Amino acid sequence: MNLPDLSLQILYGRLGWAVVLATLLCALWRRSAPMSRVALAAVMALSLAAMALPGELSPAWWLGLAFQYPSGLLVGCCLLRLAERWHGIRRSAVMPQALAGVLVVSGGLLYLDAVGILARGFYYAGFGQAAAPLFGIAAAIVCVLAIVRGHARGPAASLLGALALFALLRLPTGNLWDALIDPLLWAWAVAALLAAALRRSGRRAADRRLEPEPDPVATPALQPLAAEHFSSVKE
Amino acid sequence: MLEPAVQDAKLGSLFWKRMENPQIPQPRPRNLVLLGCVLLVLLMLGAEGVRWSRSAHAAAQPSLAGALHRGPVTLTELSSTHIPAPHGMPSAHASSMTPLPGNRMLAFWWAGSRESGPDVKVYASTWANGAWSAPWMVASRESLGEALGFGVRRIGNPVAWTDRDGKIHLYVVATGLGGWAASRIAHIVSTDQGASFRVRRVLPTSPLFNTSALVRTSPLALSDGGWWLPVYFEIGNKYPMLMAFDAQGNPTSLARIGSSTSTLQPAIVAVSKTEVRALLRDDSEARRMQHAASNDGGASWHDLPALDLPNHNTSMAAIRLSSGQFLMLHNHAADDASARSVLRLSISDDMRSWRTVADIAKGKAGDEFSYPTLQQVGDELHVTYTWQRQAIAHHRYRIQAGGTI
Repeated sequence: MNLPDLSLQILYGRLGWAVVLATLLCALWRRSAPMSRVALAAVMALSLAAMALPGELSPAWWLGLAFQYPSGLLVGCCLLRLAERWHGIRRSAVMPQALAGVLVVSGGLLYLDAVGILARGFYYAGFGQAAAPLFGIAAAIVCVLAIVRGHARGPAASLLGALALFALLRLPTGNLWDALIDPLLWAWAVAALLAAALRRSGRRAADRRLEPEPDPVATPALQPLAAEHFSSVKE
Repeated sequence: MLEPAVQDAKLGSLFWKRMENPQIPQPRPRNLVLLGCVLLVLLMLGAEGVRWSRSAHAAAQPSLAGALHRGPVTLTELSSTHIPAPHGMPSAHASSMTPLPGNRMLAFWWAGSRESGPDVKVYASTWANGAWSAPWMVASRESLGEALGFGVRRIGNPVAWTDRDGKIHLYVVATGLGGWAASRIAHIVSTDQGASFRVRRVLPTSPLFNTSALVRTSPLALSDGGWWLPVYFEIGNKYPMLMAFDAQGNPTSLARIGSSTSTLQPAIVAVSKTEVRALLRDDSEARRMQHAASNDGGASWHDLPALDLPNHNTSMAAIRLSSGQFLMLHNHAADDASARSVLRLSISDDMRSWRTVADIAKGKAGDEFSYPTLQQVGDELHVTYTWQRQAIAHHRYRIQAGGTI
């Protein structure tokens, strides 16, 4: 178990919460009008300035009281969402369904274990001296392959950043799980899956409405082609 | 933002210019990205390699106190007193002791206007030359919050340990947003025998915003100079855990004790270098003292059948005497008493069958003598416990070879 220094954790907490807070504020921006880069930069600067305030004046004081530190992946996803907004991309690719599915399932097992319903010690394995770092390196290599091949580059870069933060500085807590997931990110993944499921069911309903009603009277024009005699040579 | 068609047109124009003039350098962003990623992964690999080469690879085993004498012992009470209370603090609870050089003792507890009150702070007092010093404050929610960079809502149980370099490690329950179930454990360290403390960190114990981890019972020494800190979880389900520390006070591992979901506040005792027992406060309807064991030096744990001792959801303390026997201080719930009105000292040779030594404190139903702590220093046994939620009581006994217990 290697844990980060407290001063590094405090710095990470302030920067991480600044990114998360800025992302939340941007999400509240009205959808009808795209956010200008100036407005985005102002939100980010305000968020950073607020986090730098001392003691109880800082939102980091209260966010840390409730949630301690955001996971590296949550910060990475928020940074990615801010980058999407900077480039004017309205349709976000931050939380693809594959990533959301992995987060929902692994987080579900982790939290069932943490509240004592399972007794598998999943969280404790995140402190492992060999297995956790090896898993982290293997996952980083997969992320690099995804980035180079152009598959889900954004989420792969976020994940790579979280894994690098863990491997180099052991942030945020020294546990690999805390680098990859937290209850806020888990809720985001659940919401992303639910939204995708709602969109799919909405599309299916729309498709059903658009399907033409079957004609009750059979006409020769609707006969299968094979039933027609067709030759370009003989006739 | 350019429209895709405009972007394509611009890229196409650049392509034709390059075709016409091959002197224009062609960046290879894909290669640069690949190079950057490979360098990052190599850096990660290097950092992990250095860390792995420096880490200890064998788990330390429990340390057994050197046997001064084997066989029955006699306990003779030497003194009985209350530790001086801080001025204007009517409520006191949850004491912990740790020895200092020169047969001295350092006690910690929390005091304030009431449990969970905003004015609750952790206090300390030193036992030296047969008397307790005036108490001094060592941690408050303000001091912890300032050092941690985020808020602490309330302060709770302290647990103390003196390492082989003489540093005092104090673990303090500090809650986040919520009640005791939202607790975290702050690790603070003193290099001047408890006069002042520096916050080292909040111990990571849970993926749920690192909440619901508490301490109450005493640590256990390990053979490499490290120690085990008993920890417990209590959101809905309650279960005990064990966090191991190396000789420098850095956490090395965390593990759950057994698989029960209604036990907490483990009192850990080493039977041998490989066999370890945990006595557990029972939060179930069984109301019996619960019990778990490890036969591989704490690497894995299994639940044992409950002991034939009542436990109405109260904390206990247990130690292995240098005689090899085991002492336990626990609440005994008799028919004419309430859950915490009798505090009983029991002894065992095997951690299974226990016989009563004495009732350290006994009152009428509704009285409270609870949260005991035991500490052997030389041939003296020190006992502290919560007295009526108003003060911390201290008893001292001489342990002599021979006798009837």
